[in-house]
Amino acid sequence: MSKPTLYRGGKIASEGSSRLRTADVVVDKGIITQLGAGLRAPRGSDVIDCGGKLLMPAMFDVHVHLREPGREDKETIRSGSEAAINGGVTGIVAMPNTDPAIDNGGLVQSVMDIAAEKARIPVFTSGCITRRRAGEELAAIAEMKEKGALIITDDGSPVCDPLVLRRAMEYAREFGLILASHCEVMELSGNGAMNEGRVSYQLGIPGIPACSEEICLDRDIRLAQHTRAHVHIQHVTTARGMETIRRFKKEGVKVTCEVSPHHLIFNEEDIRDYDSSYKMNPPLRTKDDNKRLLKGLIDGVFDVIATDHAPHTEFEKNQDFGSAPFGITGLETAVISLFHHFIRSGKFGWDLLVKRYSAEPRRLMGLPEAKIAKGEKAEFLVFDPHGTTRFTKQYMRSKSSNTPFLDQELEGAIDRVVLGNKVLVDRMKRARGK
Amino acid sequence: MEPRKDLLDIESLSSEEIEFLLKTAGPFKDLFEKSVKKVPTLRGKSVLTLFYEPSTRTRSSFEIAAKRLSADVTNFSVAASSVVKGESVLDTVDTLQAMKVDYIIVRHPASGIPNLIAKHANASVVNAGDGFHAHPTQALLDAFTLREVFPKSARKRVLIVGDILHSRVARSTSTLFRKLGVEVGVLGPGGLIPDGKPKEFKVFRSFDEAFEWKPDLIYLLRIQLERQKAQFFPSLHEYHQVYGVTNERFARVEKEGIWIMHPGPVNRGVELVDNVMRYERCLINQQVENGIATRMAVLYWLKPQTSSREAEVEV
Repeated sequence: MSKPTLYRGGKIASEGSSRLRTADVVVDKGIITQLGAGLRAPRGSDVIDCGGKLLMPAMFDVHVHLREPGREDKETIRSGSEAAINGGVTGIVAMPNTDPAIDNGGLVQSVMDIAAEKARIPVFTSGCITRRRAGEELAAIAEMKEKGALIITDDGSPVCDPLVLRRAMEYAREFGLILASHCEVMELSGNGAMNEGRVSYQLGIPGIPACSEEICLDRDIRLAQHTRAHVHIQHVTTARGMETIRRFKKEGVKVTCEVSPHHLIFNEEDIRDYDSSYKMNPPLRTKDDNKRLLKGLIDGVFDVIATDHAPHTEFEKNQDFGSAPFGITGLETAVISLFHHFIRSGKFGWDLLVKRYSAEPRRLMGLPEAKIAKGEKAEFLVFDPHGTTRFTKQYMRSKSSNTPFLDQELEGAIDRVVLGNKVLVDRMKRARGK
Repeated sequence: MEPRKDLLDIESLSSEEIEFLLKTAGPFKDLFEKSVKKVPTLRGKSVLTLFYEPSTRTRSSFEIAAKRLSADVTNFSVAASSVVKGESVLDTVDTLQAMKVDYIIVRHPASGIPNLIAKHANASVVNAGDGFHAHPTQALLDAFTLREVFPKSARKRVLIVGDILHSRVARSTSTLFRKLGVEVGVLGPGGLIPDGKPKEFKVFRSFDEAFEWKPDLIYLLRIQLERQKAQFFPSLHEYHQVYGVTNERFARVEKEGIWIMHPGPVNRGVELVDNVMRYERCLINQQVENGIATRMAVLYWLKPQTSSREAEVEV
């Protein structure tokens, strides 16, 4: 039997208020049994001093690539879920662009089975919109839903044929499934490898124009409007695209969207010297986009933050910029980098992080939120704003380390991640209770 | 002036370094008129050319430059067919490291490959053209040629005509020209004049408009139709009509005494009519000659990190 634990004197972050409330929290048998000021430690309990630290609901990421089946050298369901845990994320949705692509009930089942056996957190999967993600025939949508797929998406590519997408929307709508869209006009992107603009010109790297994303995004939302389906726009990178979403939301279209930490923090200027750890699709855009996406996140256009965690081997990334694969990892760096770049300087509050990276993603997926409240299941992390984290290969649990944060030291540290009666991460010093 | 290991682009060169290179190329060029054209500067050093794109001209130019400095030259043949995607350039670099070459002259169709090699090699890396990115020795020879005609290059006007988007020559040469105070104008099909170009470029709609600007020199870029998937212009014939130096335009070029440059090889009847090649102010062959001198200056200037010890092998 595990002992009760008293988390003493931490500040509790929640989605409802930007003000942090200092409180003690008692966790017993995986449940938050007491919450309040000046609690007495239950007999035989562990006492964790959380003075100066924060307790917040654990995160949920709706967009991660786990690479299993097919590319287990990059990531597995096990290693990817451990990376999530390391970053304070206790629930993830895997993308179906594996090899083979997850386009039928059997594969959904197999991913769920592996997850149940290997992962210490709930791992969900999405299914493809089209068979083999080829954009032609519909995948076994109802069957995948039946086996537990939360959303459908051909992520990594768009559904190029608008009629196929229309049919998919009409069909999926009846099962209450969200279609997640990777927006890109393939012909316009061509062999582009970074944002088209001044920097791509100087580096001599073929560009991906912003309109490649914006045209597809516009198309997909209009199709959702026409079919009354729910479309979720993945990894929005341009301010103009974001404004399109804002407008259609006002018109009542069922459209939700996500923004990734890297599209808020980095831009094309960071690619100087051809560092392929800044290469992803859609690409880093401009400094102005950074600013306006951040504003959009604050004023509520973006429903969720999602990392698009995309592991790749060092060998593959160590090619010239054009040949290296698209994608960077993000699960382990998201919370800390958002703290370091935005929360620390007051650009936004903890409530926004909890809302957009914990509560809303779970609601979007039809799952109960993680809450720090009496009677709730313990699912939270302890964050030390005075600590620092260096993202070394030793620190990271992902099989891959293709992130611009590699070997960087950032402010903030995740001291502890709690899920039910399990402590998944523990970097805290403990004091003995009485 | 700090010694430099590599020459990868023009942007990173200081004006002091540029002046040094342009000044050094002069005496090397004078050497070409002598009966013995060789100097012992790089005796015992090895130069390796690593070309992933076919180019007889540039490769030969480097080879001659290295030989005139008494270096040993090896041409590392990379059959285009063996360069499969996913094969690591860095594996090749490891091989070259083991061979202990002092200078690697690299040309590659992907932008940034020389930067990648330079990071991993002790040898000096000279970028002989990478993708759409840079061709710094071309820029230096162009600048050297420009200076021969206009010893005071500041505020001279150079019109660059053609495919600005895909041209590493346009990138490097215009960057260097601007560093020398030259005003740069561009003319070409709409899709080939990218929005990301430097703001200082003056953009012209037509040759007539460009002539009104009174350019001192026209730099014609080689048009490569094979690079174009969705066409940027309908045909080479139409390109010549709109953006080529036709007979009519050549008459005006002659009348106004405008100088002509072209990085070669020339597409006759496309970028220019045949007559231009015999024009006394056509600098194309001079560019080739100056290419050897400036590349000698570059090799002379770079400092490989391969060995600091003098040879002490006893036989």
